[in-house]
Amino acid sequence: MQRKQVMALIVFTLVLALGTVSVSAATKTVTIRVEGMHCGGCSSSVTKALKATDGVEDVQVSFEKGEAVVKYDDQKVTVAKLREVINGTGFKAVEEKSARN
Amino acid sequence: MIRAIVFATILILLPAVVTGQSNEAPAVALKDLRGRTVRVGDYRGKVVLLNFWATWCPPCRAEMPALVRWQQQYRRRGLQVIGVTYPPTELRAVRQFIRSIGVNYPILLGAEGTKALFDPGETLPLTVVIDREGKIRDRIEGIILPEEFEQKVKPLLQ
Repeated sequence: MQRKQVMALIVFTLVLALGTVSVSAATKTVTIRVEGMHCGGCSSSVTKALKATDGVEDVQVSFEKGEAVVKYDDQKVTVAKLREVINGTGFKAVEEKSARN
Repeated sequence: MIRAIVFATILILLPAVVTGQSNEAPAVALKDLRGRTVRVGDYRGKVVLLNFWATWCPPCRAEMPALVRWQQQYRRRGLQVIGVTYPPTELRAVRQFIRSIGVNYPILLGAEGTKALFDPGETLPLTVVIDREGKIRDRIEGIILPEEFEQKVKPLLQ
């Protein structure tokens, strides 16, 4: 009986852990370098377009740093798509500087 | 009770009365690229999208093909896009760009003060949505997304 309970606890823990991993794996953050932004007004266009993209959870765009930090669900959107959205605003997404979970 | 209602009404209306704010679009008259004076008020009866833009503004250039498309598609339902340049304006660059994308609506030459009449912010592009009665219904900062056009402009075209 006790052995069964231990087994059940292990299975439960494993299921919980796997579930947590799959959830956290879906959310990633990427920093994309954006060329051509010269004012706050510029960054608002990029922010708006990214926020309207399905799968994007949070966006921080800085024209001073010339970059967009995007938190996104990698099950719904790819970095290539994020770059495409930025390019659609008239600026140029050069490369993603880093990607982390 | 009546006193309280009157007092509350005054409190609500006072700021607008003091600052002279209303939804009425300011009366502006600007020159077009041929030097003719155009009054935005002349388009009363149409749904006007007053689009502030500049050739040096990448998102402004990026959104203009959509404005051209909407102008063509909704002209018969009363849509009138009007482009207003924001300085510094190089006339040659303006002419070259609007020709390159086939702009099908008037382009007027604005000043910094022109945009300030409609919006104090510094965002470009900025599009002011004016209804058929000449009232400002919305200010859209940045590129107009298709869903924004659906929600904020299309209902006025019914």
